[in-house]
Amino acid sequence: MSDKAVNILLVEDDYLDIMNVERELSKINLTHPLHVARNGREALNMLRGTEGAQKISPAPSVILLDINMPKMNGLEFLAELRREPEFNHLPVFIMTTSNEETDRMAAQRLNVTGYIVKPLSFDNFERSHSSLDSFSLFLDLIKLK
Amino acid sequence: MKLSVKLFAGFLLISLLFTAVVIVNFQLSEDVIDNTVWVSRSQIVVRNSASLQRNIIDMETGMRGFLLNGNDTFLQPYFQAKDQLPNLLQETKSFVAGSPEQTRKINDIVRLQGRLQYTYAEPLIALKRSDTTQIADLKVITELDSLVLGEKILMDSIRTAFRDFNAYEYKVREERRERLGKSINTTRQVSTILTILSVIMGLGWAYYITRLITGRIIKMVTLAEEISRGDYKTKIIDTSRDELSQLSNSLNRMSATIDETFTELDRKNTELDQFAYVVSHDLKAPLRGIEVASRWVEEDMGTQLPPNVQEYLMMMRIRVHRMENLINGILALARIGRTNQIEEEVDVNILLSEIVDLLSPPEGFRIEVQDDLPILHTIRIQLQQVFSNLISNAIKYHDKRTGLIKVAYHETDSFHVFSVSDDGPGIDPEYHDRIFVIFQTLQERDAVESTGVGLTIVKKIVEWQGGTIWVSSQPGQGATFTFTWPKDTEDVG
Repeated sequence: MSDKAVNILLVEDDYLDIMNVERELSKINLTHPLHVARNGREALNMLRGTEGAQKISPAPSVILLDINMPKMNGLEFLAELRREPEFNHLPVFIMTTSNEETDRMAAQRLNVTGYIVKPLSFDNFERSHSSLDSFSLFLDLIKLK
Repeated sequence: MKLSVKLFAGFLLISLLFTAVVIVNFQLSEDVIDNTVWVSRSQIVVRNSASLQRNIIDMETGMRGFLLNGNDTFLQPYFQAKDQLPNLLQETKSFVAGSPEQTRKINDIVRLQGRLQYTYAEPLIALKRSDTTQIADLKVITELDSLVLGEKILMDSIRTAFRDFNAYEYKVREERRERLGKSINTTRQVSTILTILSVIMGLGWAYYITRLITGRIIKMVTLAEEISRGDYKTKIIDTSRDELSQLSNSLNRMSATIDETFTELDRKNTELDQFAYVVSHDLKAPLRGIEVASRWVEEDMGTQLPPNVQEYLMMMRIRVHRMENLINGILALARIGRTNQIEEEVDVNILLSEIVDLLSPPEGFRIEVQDDLPILHTIRIQLQQVFSNLISNAIKYHDKRTGLIKVAYHETDSFHVFSVSDDGPGIDPEYHDRIFVIFQTLQERDAVESTGVGLTIVKKIVEWQGGTIWVSSQPGQGATFTFTWPKDTEDVG
């Protein structure tokens, strides 16, 4: 692991989910700075440093993204993100309660790295194989930095 | 124009043509009768004229005989003929009254005969009678000669007159025959033409009407076909205003109604999809929150919690899971037959061994599956859901530590019939209907973890497939769930 700061951006509106992610990360001793945006618009501002938000520097290594959010939802945020050359390579993990095929398809079209079924947990009673794979991929990505 | 009017007009036209044929033929027969009457009259005229002529010749012959020998017996034919002549003449005259030409001719003959009789025959006879001497008196002889000569000339002209008369009669008869022949020919042609015409017209009209009706019916059949294929926007364009147009209009209204209804149904389905989506997301999110928070309490407090609080937390989480299972159950129920599932070859033998593996029955339970189960062409996931629900129910609600569950199969003409029977507690017939109703369980929720959705899903799947499901059971004697699965033409086994 390098000394360089590895930023994680969490885009999530539910406070309980934010706490959950923080707890799970601390459980596996990940101490990387976790930046939290409460909706897609706020996340974009934090990435660009616009509208008074402090720009995350360096750009986050991983984005954890919720789908259902106010103002700008996860899929809209993703579409916006993929249009900007600076950020279109960023690995994005979708976090959702939905295991629906249609949602997976919509996310697939926007080129996401993984699909994690909430709640983010190792002993998740609802987890599927793909979700577990995505989660370990997420951990690998952070550790590689 | 209305169809019935068209049909009627066609028949009327053909009937008129045939009537014309009949009228023409009738006129011809009138002509023929006329002509026959005329010919027989003409024959009488000719016969009369012949007998007239014969009588006149008789008179002459009688007179001449008398002139030769003065014997009165020779005059007998003369007088006889003389008696008959007026009658015959009168008769002939009456027969030719219609023809001025012939009347003139017969009048000529009458005049000539009169002259013959009075100028020559009577004087000659008188002269002969007066000449009793038998000796030729020169004066008498000279007179006799001149009279006989005159009589001969007159006789010749009478003959000519008769010839003229007959010739004229024959000529007229010939003309009439020609005219009749002509009219027969004309009638033949006219009736042939009219008959052909009416046959052609009849055929043409029949073809036209048939095409008209068939065309329209085919249009309607096409519409019905399109509707049955699912194209409800289709319409018949029908500009003619007749009885079939009303049918077309009704069909159009029907397809419009179907279209509206289906559009409405599509909208409702979309709404239901959205509803299901909302249920699966928004109802699950708070549940997840409760579950996570209760887990945190356990994690953070751990063993410090008194046992009763730990139990409360456990109860809370169990109910959260139950709620989640209920939501998933409702979603599964709503989804039956609505998502497009692919039909495939399903070997029921393999399917059942997979299900038994998956359910991993507890120690002491045996599942006996009949051999030689069929291979169906159906939706695998649905058949699997039915079997796994029935078998897992049999295990879940079993009241003993050991149990035997049997899967049996037979087939009827149009159905595959499967049954799952167990040797469990059995179900009171009073509850046989109730167990298929959603959220109805026969045991307390806490005794057996169940949602009350399983059998409802099973029933819905079986009925969606076109089959039926029923249970036969008595308390203490186990239960047998039997369901039918329709065969279709693509079935392999």
